[in-house]
Amino acid sequence: MTNGNREDTRLKNDNIMKLCNNQWFEMFVRWLLGIVFVYASYHKIAEPAQFAKIVYGYDLFPNFSINLIAIILPYLEFYSGMALIMGIFPRSAVFIIDGMLFAFIIALSVNLLRGHEFDCGCTSFGEPGYTSSTTQLLIRDIIMFILGLYVLFFDKPRMGSLTQLTTLVKRRATG
Amino acid sequence: MLYRQIMKELLCFVGLAVITAFTVNFFSPKGIALVGEWDTSKGVITARAKDDVVDHELEIDIIRAREIYLNGKSVFVDARTRELYEEGHIKNAVSLPLYEFDGLFEEFMNKYPDSLTIITYCTGRECEDSHQLAQYLSEMGYSDTKVYVDGYDEWKQGGYPVEE
Repeated sequence: MTNGNREDTRLKNDNIMKLCNNQWFEMFVRWLLGIVFVYASYHKIAEPAQFAKIVYGYDLFPNFSINLIAIILPYLEFYSGMALIMGIFPRSAVFIIDGMLFAFIIALSVNLLRGHEFDCGCTSFGEPGYTSSTTQLLIRDIIMFILGLYVLFFDKPRMGSLTQLTTLVKRRATG
Repeated sequence: MLYRQIMKELLCFVGLAVITAFTVNFFSPKGIALVGEWDTSKGVITARAKDDVVDHELEIDIIRAREIYLNGKSVFVDARTRELYEEGHIKNAVSLPLYEFDGLFEEFMNKYPDSLTIITYCTGRECEDSHQLAQYLSEMGYSDTKVYVDGYDEWKQGGYPVEE
């Protein structure tokens, strides 16, 4: 590798690091994940019976748990998404979101491997999850999972974070 | 310290989600039972929602459906889409796609008197459209309505008469 090439790579790495440490970028990613999850929860909350049928369609869960998943999961998505947007306990919220994404990735991979056709039900119903689009869903979920890890491990002060603002106000009041 | 803080926050989220979920589900007109019926051997699967259309008492299996079919005093009504009907359907079955019901019902009513036995069907035990259609037809005066639960595919595999 020539000196010029090394310099180019170093500059690129510097720029990526700058972007990753940028508070506005972190807020953008956090909002993006939050909005996606709040939107994804909407149809599931509005039509729990349809969502239960989609959970059944994954063919991975015991029968007794299907309705419970369909009742609870959408609210977990909604609250985690809202918390990310408002910056309330963002680290824990994104931990839950990454946990869910990890579970979706496993579920999609298992069904892709065994060639099981199903409706994903990710953001709306009637989205056929045939093998070709299952791959796309898997890629989408993996990208969101990586973005989630970025938000999780971001260690600078976060922009637009309500809990952080509260902590600052408290510190100022006591100090 | 951080670990404990995160555990507390996670508990907050999960607790809030569980409480809201069960409360909304309890009061919502679209709420579902805590345990659904997901065993296809017992009939069409259902989440047992408050506005559920599945009525197991109306259900008949392929053997009973064939008996009624051979009797010749009934009309089989296909609740699937027009495209699926055209690809293949039970011989002499009438197409009345669930999502076109309002537009096609009058024509159906003029052709078939409500004294007839109506057998609705769709794709099988994972499809509730046949139940929804049976409910609509009952509301319109067809009192002798049944739901053939095994659907078109099972009928075809059984070697019973089809039109393609």
